[in-house]
Amino acid sequence: MALSRRDLLKISAILAATSSFGSESSKKDVDIKKSISSYRVQNAPLPKPKGPRVVVVGGGWSGLAVAKYLKKFSPKTDVVLIEKRSVFVSCPLSNLWLVDLIDLQFLTHDYLQAAQNNEYIYFNATVYDIDRVSKKVYTNEGIVSYDYLVLAPGIDYDYEEWTNGNMELETKLKSLYPAGFIPGSEHFTLKRKIEEFEEGNFVLTVPGGNYRCLPAPYERASLIAWYMKKEGIKGKVVLIDENPDITIKKDGFNSAFNELYKDYIEYLPGSKITDIDLDKKRVVTDMGDEIDFSDASFYPRIRGAKLLEIVGVAKDSAFNKKEADIDPFTYQSKADPYIYCTGDVRPMGFSKSGNTANSEGHLVAKIIASVIEGKEFKWDSPITVCYSAVSGDPIRAISVNAKYAYDKKKKVFTFKDASTMENWKGKQGIMSGKGLLEWAKGMYRDMFM
Amino acid sequence: MERRSFFKICAKGTLLVAISPFLIEGYLKADDGRLFKSFNRVKLLDCYGNPLKEEILQEEVTYVFNYPYASTPCFLIKLSEPAAKEIKLRDEEGSEYIWKGGVGKDKKVVAYSAICPHQLAHPNPNESFLGYIPKEKKSMAYKEGGVIVCASHLSAFDPKTGAKVLAGPAKEPMASIILDVDEEGVFWASAVLGPAKFFDYFKSFKPELKEFYKNIRKAKKLVSLGAVVKPLDVYSKEVVIY
Ligand SMILES: Cc1cc2nc3c(=O)[nH]c(=O)nc-3n(C[C@H](O)[C@H](O)[C@H](O)COP(=O)(O)OP(=O)(O)OC[C@H]3O[C@@H](n4cnc5c(N)ncnc54)[C@H](O)[C@@H]3O)c2cc1C
Ligand code: FES
Repeated sequence: MALSRRDLLKISAILAATSSFGSESSKKDVDIKKSISSYRVQNAPLPKPKGPRVVVVGGGWSGLAVAKYLKKFSPKTDVVLIEKRSVFVSCPLSNLWLVDLIDLQFLTHDYLQAAQNNEYIYFNATVYDIDRVSKKVYTNEGIVSYDYLVLAPGIDYDYEEWTNGNMELETKLKSLYPAGFIPGSEHFTLKRKIEEFEEGNFVLTVPGGNYRCLPAPYERASLIAWYMKKEGIKGKVVLIDENPDITIKKDGFNSAFNELYKDYIEYLPGSKITDIDLDKKRVVTDMGDEIDFSDASFYPRIRGAKLLEIVGVAKDSAFNKKEADIDPFTYQSKADPYIYCTGDVRPMGFSKSGNTANSEGHLVAKIIASVIEGKEFKWDSPITVCYSAVSGDPIRAISVNAKYAYDKKKKVFTFKDASTMENWKGKQGIMSGKGLLEWAKGMYRDMFM
Repeated sequence: MERRSFFKICAKGTLLVAISPFLIEGYLKADDGRLFKSFNRVKLLDCYGNPLKEEILQEEVTYVFNYPYASTPCFLIKLSEPAAKEIKLRDEEGSEYIWKGGVGKDKKVVAYSAICPHQLAHPNPNESFLGYIPKEKKSMAYKEGGVIVCASHLSAFDPKTGAKVLAGPAKEPMASIILDVDEEGVFWASAVLGPAKFFDYFKSFKPELKEFYKNIRKAKKLVSLGAVVKPLDVYSKEVVIY
């Protein structure tokens, strides 16, 4: 193609511009440094606080409740919720969506609406550091100053036991066989795996420690088995459980495994994975089992979100690594009285569930409001109400309902007024299935309306 | 204002009636529109449209009527024993109010807004997760019967004492509906006492209300002529309580 004179002029102008950049490389380095430092000191584009400012990091089940109720209990407080996601996707009930029992719309919610309805600021940014001396939160969108800080960032995965520091294996596990216990892309990958599954073993794992949502791996196993059965897939779920037995709602899950999914679930309790060979697609357990799999979702141990460690408010708990080092009744950090930690990062042995995290959020809001308003507050137990589906069409569910009490002698929390409903058969199971949806709708109302 | 003339105003008006000092007295220490609101004085009717009298109410059955708005359900229950009297209650923010007790022959009849103060579960034409559990029965929410439960997150309320919270995540009582019985033995509803959640309810359930009441305006219309009282299992196709 011939170039016109006009094109030539244009090109030479571009070339001239490019070469002028290239020739001053030392000046460029200086510019980069300058731009980084000026970016670091920039304040986030937020209005000036009109009262004491409480910054809540993490808009999950706990953080959303803190933000809403703090504003309600102490209207003069200026509340900023910093959340890295732009859309809320619910972990609870996601197992139902994996097998098409509910649609995605049921799980997704709007942060802007929550903030507007409840008169706080939603700041869509990722927190990467906190300076506790000057009380500043560093985000990718600038700095936010606080008077009080609430950390509710949830969990991170702890692959150490499986990978022993082998980052290549960890990255492969995370990207090829994600756990699906932190919502987002992991869940989409898992759903695709289930939809495209042809035959063979589908491996799922239950970690040790106080992992996020005790019943969820058993619920997931049941629902994938239900899907395989319904679709006539020649395969089964192999559920490798590090715990000696089903950790919660045992009778309900056990009877579902035996009576509904005899040919579709192979349950291996008390089994620790000692080797994962992703090339051969084989896992080995300390019980001597060698399991070949067609596909899998590996749920490793969990730990407190890394942010807590970065901030210096974490400590290994009796269950998991690097959870919040807090007073269990006031949720106040032991290292810093201006920081509170709530939700799944807590070190207390409560069930790591959305309902617990939400009810704790209400309590933490009350605690901080009482500090700001100079009022008294009374500790109240978080509440665990947790339904699990065991089959679809109609959805049948089982449930647990409990509070906690402190045993002063043993210095631990124990269940109080705990009860379970584990009969998924007949009308009762179907009613609980409806209860499961109603439970979630209520929780979403609480967080977003 | 005299009792008689106050009622006259209520009967005439279709709009919100100003709070009557007569009614507030004894319920609240202060004139607080937040915890006490009078609405139209409305006659309760049975399923045939006849004025509702105590004889037709069965004990320990959950009845529902819509009040004070066309879409806000209330429970009417005739307990198996007289309700308590002069109960001090508190809303979530700590404000106190007095629930005076039941009405009717043996003061057994009580009425409450059936919108759960926890996260607003309520009976709708399709289903209800709330209802009264008779004394001889039990639910997952509470160790005894004779309570109103919300199966959504398992809160339990005591209908004998102004729907005080007995168990579960609810942090305040169900709002109560002020009832009285006229000389002919007919029940009337006239006000709402306690933390009513109507505003949050209308905000949260727009799509559902549209489905059941055609549009939100119709759902928000104040009940003015009469409110039909139906058994809960007639009002809702399915009652989901465990
Ligand atoms: C599959 C599955 C099923 C479940 N089923 C149930 C159930 O049926 N019932 C039940 O009660 N619970 C259930 N749970 C558990 C429930 O989801 C968790 O316990 C709950 O989400 C914990 O709340 P949280 O607020 O502590 O953490 P999350 O809800 O995880 O919230 C943490 C938030 O912090 C944000 N964040 C983290 N780091 C940063 C940062 N640096 N900067 C900005 N934002 C940040 C995250 O994006 C996230 O939004 C289930 C969980 C899973 C995975
Ligand atoms: S909505 Fe009634 S207990 Fe939650």
